Amino acid sequence: MLHWMVYAGIAIAMWGLNGLFMKLGTNRISAHSMVIWVTLGFLLLLPFLWAETGLAGLNARVIFVGLLGGAVNGLGNWAVFACLEKGAKASVAIPLTALYPLCTIVLATVFLNERPNAVQWLGIGLALAGGAMLSYETAPVAEREEQLHCAQ
Amino acid sequence: MQIEGWRFPNWLWYALIGIFLWGLWGFLSKVGAEAANPLQLQILFTLGMLPVACAMLLRTGTKLERNHGGIIYGLLCGIATGVGTLGYYAALRTQAASVVTPVTGLFPVLTVVLAFVLLRERLNKVQMAGMLLALASVVILSI
Repeated sequence: MLHWMVYAGIAIAMWGLNGLFMKLGTNRISAHSMVIWVTLGFLLLLPFLWAETGLAGLNARVIFVGLLGGAVNGLGNWAVFACLEKGAKASVAIPLTALYPLCTIVLATVFLNERPNAVQWLGIGLALAGGAMLSYETAPVAEREEQLHCAQ
Repeated sequence: MQIEGWRFPNWLWYALIGIFLWGLWGFLSKVGAEAANPLQLQILFTLGMLPVACAMLLRTGTKLERNHGGIIYGLLCGIATGVGTLGYYAALRTQAASVVTPVTGLFPVLTVVLAFVLLRERLNKVQMAGMLLALASVVILSI
């Protein structure tokens, strides 16, 4: 088995690429329509996954946890989507939601008894700050001009 | 909630709910990764997400746009996210969720770099500083 960082690197590469596709896609169609096509993209992977493995051997608890994970992720997407629709500025809301690993850290240390060492805590802190800062986008020129106009 | 002229904005509730739900997903993924392989978890993840995605779509009543570029990028988004999630689940099999999740949360590094190279978007100072912190964290957590 490869080092865990290699697998994490695959996640970073694919999710990072997804961010670019998302930008390019929403330049052409609305975010609502994008949700539909993204979901179909997920479904396209299913036959390949089924061909490699099935769900045999998994107990009911694991199946429940896996399904719940998908539902919870989908609801999280809805909440962030709603957040932007309720008037949040993307430049504020997106860096804020990039702090979601903080919640995983709390849950994993409390319920799974994970105990990162001091060096790992330093890395975790830098990663959280770095992730939030990378998601920061300044307001578009039109929006800045509007703010300036309002201030005047 | 109102404090001396400052009102808790409505959108902030949704942002906090989103943070909690995505954080909970990371936690549940670790619990699932103890017994299921990444492919099995991804199948369950997709099936679990479907009812929520359908409800979202029915509620918004969106008229489906069929711009070819939009369709292709939308499908690619789903495929890229799905493959990335496989990597996340594989990493969780050998490392703690409290370590893996902050690292994979650094994916905007690549988005920012690709947007800079391919879309000619400019990096702001906060993003540049964030990139340095991200690289330092990856080096530290690789030790």
